[in-house]
Amino acid sequence: MSLRSPLAGSGVIEGPGGLRLNDLSLARREGVRGAGAREWLMAQGHTLPDAPNQIVASGVLGWVMSLSHHEFWLLQPDSEASLSLPASKAVAVGVWPLYCQHSHAWLQLAGEPRDEIMAKLCGVDLSEAAFPLGSVAQTQAARVSVIIAAHQNQNGQPVFSILVDQSLVRYLWETIEDAMGEWLE
Amino acid sequence: MKILTCPLNGPRNIAEFTYGGQVKPMPNPTEATDQEWAHYVFYGDNHIGVVREWWMHTPSSYWFIVERHNQTDEVIRTYDPAELFDAGAAPATEPVAADT
Repeated sequence: MSLRSPLAGSGVIEGPGGLRLNDLSLARREGVRGAGAREWLMAQGHTLPDAPNQIVASGVLGWVMSLSHHEFWLLQPDSEASLSLPASKAVAVGVWPLYCQHSHAWLQLAGEPRDEIMAKLCGVDLSEAAFPLGSVAQTQAARVSVIIAAHQNQNGQPVFSILVDQSLVRYLWETIEDAMGEWLE
Repeated sequence: MKILTCPLNGPRNIAEFTYGGQVKPMPNPTEATDQEWAHYVFYGDNHIGVVREWWMHTPSSYWFIVERHNQTDEVIRTYDPAELFDAGAAPATEPVAADT
């Protein structure tokens, strides 16, 4: 069995100064939710954010993003998406798996003007002064629900990870591409 | 643009929110009469004043409570439901007093 991104064929959009939009939908991401989620993840050796709507590096492989006091997503941009079926039962007492790999596509936007590009689509101020590295916003961009996380990629470059419903990602990709237009000329 | 402050996500465009109805005490579903249950499901208060309502921040699926004056539309306070609910029980609350 192989996995196929809903954006298959779209490739990468690159512009001057490191501007880059790419599809990470075939990278690994998983999540857990529940009253015991924090303790369970810490017992697995993960580093967790202290509060909701934050993202921190955890180990060398990835990032842990907190979406509430009891919900955490693990993002591993350098690992391949899991081919196994998602767990259908609680993984521990009070800890339930989330199927983020199946529900959400994953885009990554890098480059200096990334906050100006997103300002065309999103009402939340994503400039570095208001939305520093480590911040997460659950909001809308171009009228669809998104999760935006500010962190660094494997090269230490600041990026936005943008997670959106799989069924809406082609629309969002084209919308971001359109917003990037003035920097691509 | 109207802005509502979500207790989890901060101030956001009102378009990011969904109204969820009045906060009202739920009768015990296993003991309530049909009439009591129908009253709970279909009827609500209709006074002018500060009302307590459920709202959801749609992108995060987070439900919270808003105290809002339904004549002036002024939002008095927004807060996590844990302030009203005790370990999943129905809220022991009456409508916020009307200021006529």
